[in-house]
Amino acid sequence: MKNCYEPFPMHIERIVIETTDTTLKSFELTFDREADRKDFFVKYNPGQFCQLSIFGKGEAPIGIASAAWEGDFVRFTVQKLGKFTSAIHAMHVGDPIGMRGPLGNGFPLDKWKGMNILVIGGGCAFSTLYAMTKHILHPSHRADYAEITALYGTRNSGLCLYKPVIEEWHNRNDIVVHQAIDVPEDNWKYHIGFVPAVLEEMAPKPDNTVAVLCGPPVMTKFTLPILTKLAFPPERIYTSLEKRMKCGVGHCGRCNIGHKYVCKDGPVFTLKELQELPNEI
Amino acid sequence: MQAKWISKKELKKLLTAWTKHYLVYAPIDNDHELAFQMVKEPARIVVDGYSNTRYPAKSLFLPQSEVLMKYDGILHSVENTEKEKILFGIRPCDAHAMQLLEHALVDVENPDLYWKQKRESAIVISKACIAPEETCFCTAVGGSPFNTADSDVLLVEMGEDYCVYVLTEKGISLCKELPDAEDTQLQAVKKLTKKVVGRMPVLLPKQELHNALMASFETEFWKDVSQSCLGCGVCTFLCPSCFCFDIVDETVRKERVRNWDTCMFRTYSLEASGHNPRPTKVERTRQRIMHKFAYWVDLIDEIGCTGCGRCVKYCPVNIDIREIAEKALHREFEGMKK
Ligand SMILES: Cc1cc2nc3c(=O)[nH]c(=O)nc-3n(C[C@H](O)[C@H](O)[C@H](O)COP(=O)(O)OP(=O)(O)OC[C@H]3O[C@@H](n4cnc5c(N)ncnc54)[C@H](O)[C@@H]3O)c2cc1C
Ligand code: SF4
Ligand code: SF4
Ligand code: FES
Repeated sequence: MKNCYEPFPMHIERIVIETTDTTLKSFELTFDREADRKDFFVKYNPGQFCQLSIFGKGEAPIGIASAAWEGDFVRFTVQKLGKFTSAIHAMHVGDPIGMRGPLGNGFPLDKWKGMNILVIGGGCAFSTLYAMTKHILHPSHRADYAEITALYGTRNSGLCLYKPVIEEWHNRNDIVVHQAIDVPEDNWKYHIGFVPAVLEEMAPKPDNTVAVLCGPPVMTKFTLPILTKLAFPPERIYTSLEKRMKCGVGHCGRCNIGHKYVCKDGPVFTLKELQELPNEI
Repeated sequence: MQAKWISKKELKKLLTAWTKHYLVYAPIDNDHELAFQMVKEPARIVVDGYSNTRYPAKSLFLPQSEVLMKYDGILHSVENTEKEKILFGIRPCDAHAMQLLEHALVDVENPDLYWKQKRESAIVISKACIAPEETCFCTAVGGSPFNTADSDVLLVEMGEDYCVYVLTEKGISLCKELPDAEDTQLQAVKKLTKKVVGRMPVLLPKQELHNALMASFETEFWKDVSQSCLGCGVCTFLCPSCFCFDIVDETVRKERVRNWDTCMFRTYSLEASGHNPRPTKVERTRQRIMHKFAYWVDLIDEIGCTGCGRCVKYCPVNIDIREIAEKALHREFEGMKK
């Protein structure tokens, strides 16, 4: 039987510097062992995360930023912060790295079939939303959903992730993309302002629509009341949570909110579920 | 269930015989401190005359520090070398705690194999408490000093003998040679049980307590009850039903290790961004109590404290989980501001 704490061996296939300040890089990892690859793609659902492992630096939970159809690799977009994330930022193409996953629940994409999807992302938390949107936009999935609208805000244009692909989304007719930056810049064609304000201006209709929200805590805090004001019911507002984690499988006790473990029962929760739990985000 | 009978002298012989076929872990007196250890000299086993060990027996299954993997370019799980063993002399509260840990660590999808293999290879012989301590309150949380649940065999000290309750197949294989207890002997055990349990605290209304705690969450109650806490973590490290662990890399030894951890430490929930959902001892104390008396009830409809009393007895500033539960139950938080 498989040891749930043992990472499997991967290699870094490609590195992309995402932001002009270089604090965010994407790493595309490939599998050393065929069995691990198979196992991963059988289980993977957008919104899930993995524990990446570098011996000596420990592990860090990182959201999966690629859709399965993109190829036999898994993308992670990592912000340089502390011990682990600095170590991975110093790594090169060809370096070995460990991985456990996919972990957590992910987005309930089957449940959303036939509905409009409103994607709201802020800063570097956009990664799993990106994977989900890519998944939905694939020709074999797109017809399962109604209108797709994305609102993505960053402090400035340089901090926007996945620039070439998001540029391309602007030109598609099967998704409406709104981009926002906090303060004006030369040649900026899109919104200026914080995500909650832009959302209020957009005033999306709540009918037959799910809102999926991932962003820094302040953005989430101020965006939820706007969604409520726009009459989105709490059971159709989804968000992905972060907590400090270790095991990633609900055993080490670390990431609980009430009786739920964010690693195992989450990281995706509806606002309704969160309202039923103790207020300890 | 079978009820058997054995004299103290015969039990000593039986213990010695078991050590020839099994690894036996039992309370051993070490510098005046009892702890569960592997038995090398059966004569050193302490069978009677104490209430419980300070250090919990969970350490035999979830060690304080345990090597999970070794590193040689990639991480390899350490091999399972568990042999069949007997855990002798554990209290019914601690036996029950192992059941709680089983629930926390073993699920269908991702079982914790380190725990599972150790637990499955163990035969649990527990010992009823005929003289519970002032700090014991198993009866308040659904247990009993004579509880037969979660053990393979339960011994009850009866003067110069023991009554031996054989509870599972594993137990039967160990005790099949013993004579059955007689009716008069069983009557005496019943009488003793009634007498001892009668002196213990009454059962807490678990759902009412759960609801009260949930209602107290955002009140000043927690500031009040956590005031003197030092954040040392003793209450959780010694708790038989606490299971939190940390995973760390020992780079010199080239090992990935897990160590007991505690929700009573600041760094436990501190995130890399600097955000901490439990920044002070107020939230951390609340987590400790709520986990035992509210979240476990949500999860399995059972209180996650077994009433062993260790956290009460060994807290350096006398924080008493029983008092906190009573206060919450009496809704002392009502009227305390948010
Ligand atoms: C479900 C989930 C998805 C995430 N997705 C991403 C992502 O896509 N990109 C990204 O850049 N970051 C993501 N994070 C946050 C990321 O895990 C932390 O920034 C990272 O663990 C910090 O590790 P460190 O060693 O650099 O920092 P240190 O402060 O040195 O952390 C030490 C250890 O603490 C733990 N830890 C600290 N902060 C966090 C945290 N916020 N969340 C979880 N564990 C933590 C880790 O075990 C880490 O190894 C995610 C977190 C979670 C829970
Ligand atoms: S909370 Fe205290 S009394 Fe309850 S099981 Fe843990 S140590 Fe024992
Ligand atoms: S043992 Fe007492 S002082 Fe130490 S952390 Fe627990 S409650 Fe606080
Ligand atoms: S990370 Fe261990 S329980 Fe969630």
